[in-house]
Amino acid sequence: MNKRSSVSQRGKTSTVRKTIFRQKKEFHQMQARLSFAEKIRILVELQKIARNIKKKDIFVWQI
Amino acid sequence: MDKTLRVVNTLKKGKLIEDYAIAGGIAAMFYIEPILTYDLDIFVILPREMKTNQLIDLTPVYDHLKKRKYKWKGEHIIIEGVPVQFIPVDELEEGAVRNAKMITLKGVRTRIITPEYLVAILLRTGRKKDIVKVEKLLTQAKVKTAVVKKIVRAHGLQNRLATVIKGMHE
Repeated sequence: MNKRSSVSQRGKTSTVRKTIFRQKKEFHQMQARLSFAEKIRILVELQKIARNIKKKDIFVWQI
Repeated sequence: MDKTLRVVNTLKKGKLIEDYAIAGGIAAMFYIEPILTYDLDIFVILPREMKTNQLIDLTPVYDHLKKRKYKWKGEHIIIEGVPVQFIPVDELEEGAVRNAKMITLKGVRTRIITPEYLVAILLRTGRKKDIVKVEKLLTQAKVKTAVVKKIVRAHGLQNRLATVIKGMHE
């Protein structure tokens, strides 16, 4: 790989990374805009996952 | 959680607490993406008669809840399926409760701490997970920077805020 193509490859990688990080940021912001009730529903699902992984005495909200 | 908040509202109606606001992870989650948390923190301002000789007495609150058959699990009281922790406020937190935002969850009116006060409270606590929440609040929520600066200045937290902001740009 010559110097020019190496620079070009790096440029492409950088663009791809920027796109990925922008998409990630947009996803998190979209999640932040969910209704409070929907966030609570997701929270209960997260608690169930945590209980299954940690096998600990995790209290899952009974709502 | 709406049923839980309905019960908490009865504490205020019955004058067992002067006022309250949702705090902690649940308050943060109101403004940011869903995060894992296990309890519902409620900041409470107690009526003057319950703060005698600098001692804070939550007994009337707990008695009221016990009468309604709510049970304890560790340091939490389970109200309608949700572990709740009542936290009597200090000066910063009292400001947070007095300036809390009114919201409605499934028809139940409740109050929740503003993102600006949350940032200050989380900065003060300063654990790694608190700083992560501060970063999320600053990037995902509509936070009034001037208000945050005013609160953190009043409570000597400017350096902590500066450190977090610097870390976010590195």
